[in-house]
Amino acid sequence: MSLDPALLRQRASLLHALRSWLHDQGFAEIDVPVRVRSPALEEHLEAFRLGAWWLHTSPEFALKRVLAAGLGRIYSLGPCFRDEESGPQHAAEFTMLEWYRLGTDYRGIAADLEELVKAAGGVLGVPVPAFGHLTWEQAWQAHVPHAVPSDPDEVFRCWVHHVEPALQTPTLVWDYPADQAAFAVLRGPVAERFEFYWHGNELANAFTELRDPEELAQRWAACNRAREAAGKAPYPVDDRLMTAVSRHGPAGGIALGVDRLFQALLKLPDIHQGRVPG
Amino acid sequence: MGLTYQTSDFRNGLKVEIDGAPYVVVYFQFVKPGKGTAFTRTKLKNLISGNVLERTFRTGETLLQAEVEESPMQFLYEDGDLYQFMDMESYEQVGIHRDLIGDSAEYFTDNLEIKVLKFKGRPVTIELPNFIEDEISYCEPGVKGNTAQGATKPATLACGKTVQVPLFIEQGERIRVDSRTHSYVSRVK
Repeated sequence: MSLDPALLRQRASLLHALRSWLHDQGFAEIDVPVRVRSPALEEHLEAFRLGAWWLHTSPEFALKRVLAAGLGRIYSLGPCFRDEESGPQHAAEFTMLEWYRLGTDYRGIAADLEELVKAAGGVLGVPVPAFGHLTWEQAWQAHVPHAVPSDPDEVFRCWVHHVEPALQTPTLVWDYPADQAAFAVLRGPVAERFEFYWHGNELANAFTELRDPEELAQRWAACNRAREAAGKAPYPVDDRLMTAVSRHGPAGGIALGVDRLFQALLKLPDIHQGRVPG
Repeated sequence: MGLTYQTSDFRNGLKVEIDGAPYVVVYFQFVKPGKGTAFTRTKLKNLISGNVLERTFRTGETLLQAEVEESPMQFLYEDGDLYQFMDMESYEQVGIHRDLIGDSAEYFTDNLEIKVLKFKGRPVTIELPNFIEDEISYCEPGVKGNTAQGATKPATLACGKTVQVPLFIEQGERIRVDSRTHSYVSRVK
């Protein structure tokens, strides 16, 4: 893919708009290590191995330690790495923006997100429609012609096939089933987690952050059992993260794919447009 | 059990068998939810009906390779419900039922070469050449100098098909017709 100077300039404007909005809201930018001892708590994400270390798949673990150290509004904007097939929506090296805010939950983060995306759209001269809202349950009922199957992979298949392509205007999908909680707090049968979709593409994922280290340890063990059952290496438990989640106050956090946001704002068919190829 | 393809083999033009019918991959895209397994979204065109099916496969799922082959064949003659062709590769005579041929038969003339798609050795559909040349067996006399845009008259070809042609075209001329749109393209000198 050849380099397009006009597109690179627009991308620079987007990066600047994101940093400037976060700075104005009092968020501190944190340089996180990309070479880490534990890359993820994810059954289905593959990290690149680097000797005894890994390349991080997101800045989440490092940022939670900073949150516990007493900084209440923080973000990281930089490269993340996932060893997966490349495609029009997937790059193995991509740019992620994550931010965390103490004293709020996923609803406060959703308000941040909508303001931030509108600010970014303003800088690029792209009007951003008001966000739509659906619960996961409502999205399923509206778009999948049958009940939720028991096989979790089949649930994802139906989601990818029926639901995602239907979410063309900016939409937040709220309250995921408890078995898709990841790092989110549970509330009855659902996890306090939302995802942001636009043009049928998942742009961001947010949680009311889990602060119970025992619950986290259980989820980690279950994740590693599933990885080992699938013949994949388990991911080491990060003890500093365990301590950090028990120490930081109530917080919400979000990971936003910057390449995908750029793609959505400019309606680019391929995530690699606007990136310098590696 | 025939040979199989994996999702990682997917590319446009790949021919696969689903529910006993042959399909060709016309679109595919890798997609992976942030917290879930990886999938490949596809659009598959049924090689017999032309209908497009949208399917999403889990990474690693396998699909049967469709046993399809395309043979060039030459039209020989019509024989009741069958049209008889010569397979240009095996030189065998092959009878194809009129139900598989449909309206395409209107263009059949002696020695016309078409493509026949066979699935598991049996003809399932035929494809005409995109452009067909034939002589006009009847049309109203031409109007010299009339090149008015869009003005046409019906003309019957030797094969029996009637198409719209510009007013200046004469009976006995050879013309070229687009078999997909049934429209006049040009005179053939």
